[in-house]
Amino acid sequence: MAKWGMVIDLDKCTGCQACTTACAMENTRLPGENWQDVLFYHEGTYPNVKLMWFPRPCMHCENPSCVEVCPTGATYKEKDGGFVLVDWNKCIGCKYCMVACPYGVRFYTDEKPVVEPDIRSVFPGKEGRQWSPPYQAPQDDPAHGVGIQPPGVVSKCTFCYHRVSKAPKGVADLDESIPELKEFVPACVRMCPPKARYFGDLDNPASKVNRLIADKNGVRLMDETGNKPQVYYLSGGAAASVPRARASRAKA
Amino acid sequence: MTTASIARPTGVLVTAVIGLVVTGGIALSGLLGKGGAAFNTTSDGIFWGLPIVTYDYFLLTSTGLAMVASIALLAGARDFAALAKRCVWLALAALIGGVAVLALELGHPVRALWAIPLNAQAASPLFWKVLFVAAYLVLLLVLFARLSRPGWTLASVRGTAIATLAAALGVTMLAGLVYGTMTMRPFWSSADVPMAFLVESLLGGIAFTIFFTYLAYGFDPDAMPPQLKALLASPMPAIFAVAILAQGLFVGTRAITGLYANAEGLQVWQDIVGGALFHLELWVGLALPLVLMLMQGTRRPGGIQVLAAALVMVSLFLSRYEYIIGGQRVPLFKGSWAPDLLLYQPSLTEWMLLLMAIFLMGLVYALGERALALSAEPKERAA
Repeated sequence: MAKWGMVIDLDKCTGCQACTTACAMENTRLPGENWQDVLFYHEGTYPNVKLMWFPRPCMHCENPSCVEVCPTGATYKEKDGGFVLVDWNKCIGCKYCMVACPYGVRFYTDEKPVVEPDIRSVFPGKEGRQWSPPYQAPQDDPAHGVGIQPPGVVSKCTFCYHRVSKAPKGVADLDESIPELKEFVPACVRMCPPKARYFGDLDNPASKVNRLIADKNGVRLMDETGNKPQVYYLSGGAAASVPRARASRAKA
Repeated sequence: MTTASIARPTGVLVTAVIGLVVTGGIALSGLLGKGGAAFNTTSDGIFWGLPIVTYDYFLLTSTGLAMVASIALLAGARDFAALAKRCVWLALAALIGGVAVLALELGHPVRALWAIPLNAQAASPLFWKVLFVAAYLVLLLVLFARLSRPGWTLASVRGTAIATLAAALGVTMLAGLVYGTMTMRPFWSSADVPMAFLVESLLGGIAFTIFFTYLAYGFDPDAMPPQLKALLASPMPAIFAVAILAQGLFVGTRAITGLYANAEGLQVWQDIVGGALFHLELWVGLALPLVLMLMQGTRRPGGIQVLAAALVMVSLFLSRYEYIIGGQRVPLFKGSWAPDLLLYQPSLTEWMLLLMAIFLMGLVYALGERALALSAEPKERAA
């Protein structure tokens, strides 16, 4: 069984947000519901200011705290692939998983819209869904948190489960430059213009993602939490780096 | 057996009914019209807003009242046992008020009834909390039924009282663990949170007991049976004072730790301590009642005891609010575009849910006071 992981090279990332846009289009997300987000941080004071941009998908952790706290088992870790997913048929919308996630990757869209006017009133939901735009993507799998969610449940990045889960068994890396594998690559990885993202099997010693992590000292975000994310960041120190803290301002 | 008579019981009942209809109507129309958008919670950081504060407050008030009732029955002191039946009914009333608000806050409350027990997520503190709340509710009903039997004795309810006390303690500690186990949130994460919740709950139970006992007798101590009046004159003020002191220590040490530490999320403490609510909670809601209960001239008069109880009840709510909301005000992993501290103002719907819980608890209590002989005493006392 594969353990899918993502590697993001911060030396190559330009902060263009193509990944954010690709994810929003692929998964028909509401404005502001950025399953894949690029966070901008700044440190220092003028004239010695450092600006950083930090792509942040769901980490699909090996020891996910969100899975442990879910009282209904709606949030679960799929054994085959290592995806952390939400079963919308079981989610009661208690939001404990949102509280427990150290990375802030979860969303509860049954709330005030981030952007006005509320697009849900323009395309009201049909068949019990939050909204129903005419351009929504075809995939729909509520048991794996894929598609447009019903109201009152939590949603998050699925590592494009609807694509990756159909990849041929035993493949070491899902690389969009290989025509046979292009359709199985997560949208954010496939769209990245500077090719800063890689997606592969962390359990396969021959995979490129493992080689990159070893060669360029890949780090995980907030390793001290013990969650063991399956997303690694590469940084040679030349450009952006992993933020030193989650909050944008430390104590005064 | 004596019976209490609320001054103008119809007045309490009518107020509660009107209040419930008005506030419930506004809240429900907001929820039906806008769904979750009727709340001011966001995915930016404030996930749990005033409805969760309300639920937690009433839940801990309920367990506190149950603890007071159980301890009163187990202590063997017949004077205390006279408070038990009313406390158990109040515990039920508070639980109903709190759970009603929670049900309106959840995305799918009915689903929880089967999804939680059938999936048995043993690693989740919320799973155990729900399990214990269910057991606690059953035990409260059983205990109340036994206290309603004619000629009940302390011995006849002993086993049920022990079980109810254990369930109340369990619910309270688990409610603390829901927050205390969140190691990724330093504001909440601590091993002492279950103990802090226990102290809050017990203090709330004592405050509500004092307030509602006086209410039952029309705020007239002379209308009370002599033993009850003597109980409230002494030792109740001393017990109340000790509980207030314990709560004050927890509030104080939590604030000092928060101001001292550099861990993420704790920077909100500077804002909390700089605000009026904290000082209202500490000085008016705790220090003043403590002084009133310690001073010779002020601890016995009924009016002052009621005032102290009311101040503590409000202080405990403010404490719950600052704990739950404060722990979410620092946005985590939202980048420089998010503000340093999230601002949260409850919406009209959220305020109405709080009032609805108050009126619902009041209605259930008033119905009980009218029809269920809440002043019933054990057979040993009547003899």
